[in-house]
Amino acid sequence: MTDKKPCKLPEAGQWPDRIAPWVLLCGIALSTAGFLMAFLFAGPVSGASVDGVELIGGQMISNKLLISQKIFYFHMPVAIVSFVALAFGAYYCVRFLITKNQRFDTCARVAFEIALLFVVATMITGDLWTRFEWGVWWTWEPRLTTYLILMLIVIAYFVLRNAIEEPERRATYAAVIGIIAFVDVPICYMVTRLIPSSIHPVVLREGGMSGDMAATLVVCLLGMLCVGFALYRLRFRQVRVTERVEALKQSIEEMEER
Amino acid sequence: MNPVLADIYSTILPSAPFVIAAYALLWVALLVFVLMIMRGIKKSEAQVVVLEEALEDLKEKQA
Repeated sequence: MTDKKPCKLPEAGQWPDRIAPWVLLCGIALSTAGFLMAFLFAGPVSGASVDGVELIGGQMISNKLLISQKIFYFHMPVAIVSFVALAFGAYYCVRFLITKNQRFDTCARVAFEIALLFVVATMITGDLWTRFEWGVWWTWEPRLTTYLILMLIVIAYFVLRNAIEEPERRATYAAVIGIIAFVDVPICYMVTRLIPSSIHPVVLREGGMSGDMAATLVVCLLGMLCVGFALYRLRFRQVRVTERVEALKQSIEEMEER
Repeated sequence: MNPVLADIYSTILPSAPFVIAAYALLWVALLVFVLMIMRGIKKSEAQVVVLEEALEDLKEKQA
């Protein structure tokens, strides 16, 4: 005879919630340090060459200095956090489809909310860079197009949730859309490598980064991951407290009807 | 100004509004989300306290 082990459900008030405010503070500190490093520590990137050479900060400079590249230090980390949030969301979608437990649907919804926040942040930072460097607000470049599709799928996830009232059917359909959204993540990540004509910069393909740039990027990435984790836990706690309010209201109504 | 230096720094000022806007919008988006969550948690926790008291009162009355 086999005893089925009870499924351990994610709950608010556990150790991740206790460390969440500290992780948020850590994230704020790291990303502030990353911001300062981006402008004070990481060297500027060179653009088109100029007619002549000048000594600046002990270095001979013969190219235009591009400050717009400083957007990259936060653009890439927020994009990575959006992918991580989507991965967690898809994981909880699969757990929901296996167990049919609404708690996993709640976790998936919160993860997708965080993913949407970071997807929008990626779009904003990327678009401002695109506007200055490419001179347009939008171009149908493969990375931008696949990321736009990803954003639309995440929005569709919430539109679908609002359109269906029955909880189990809503959670099942949403889980399927959530998994489809995650399928777009590796496509989005790899598309600049798969389509060589893509004009979107690929740091690792183009010879990597100098030590100062890599260190700055890592600090910003760690900061954003901390912020993403803390936001997920805070939002999850809020949703669980709201669910408790609803449960209490229902109990009071039932008692008053007796 | 030295024309070579002017050329080297020629993209700095035009790109500054985009860099500032990118960082500002990113931080505003995150800050607004954090404030919304904090406000929501505070409101819901206050509701839980009131509802728990109401439930206790009802239980006492029905006992």
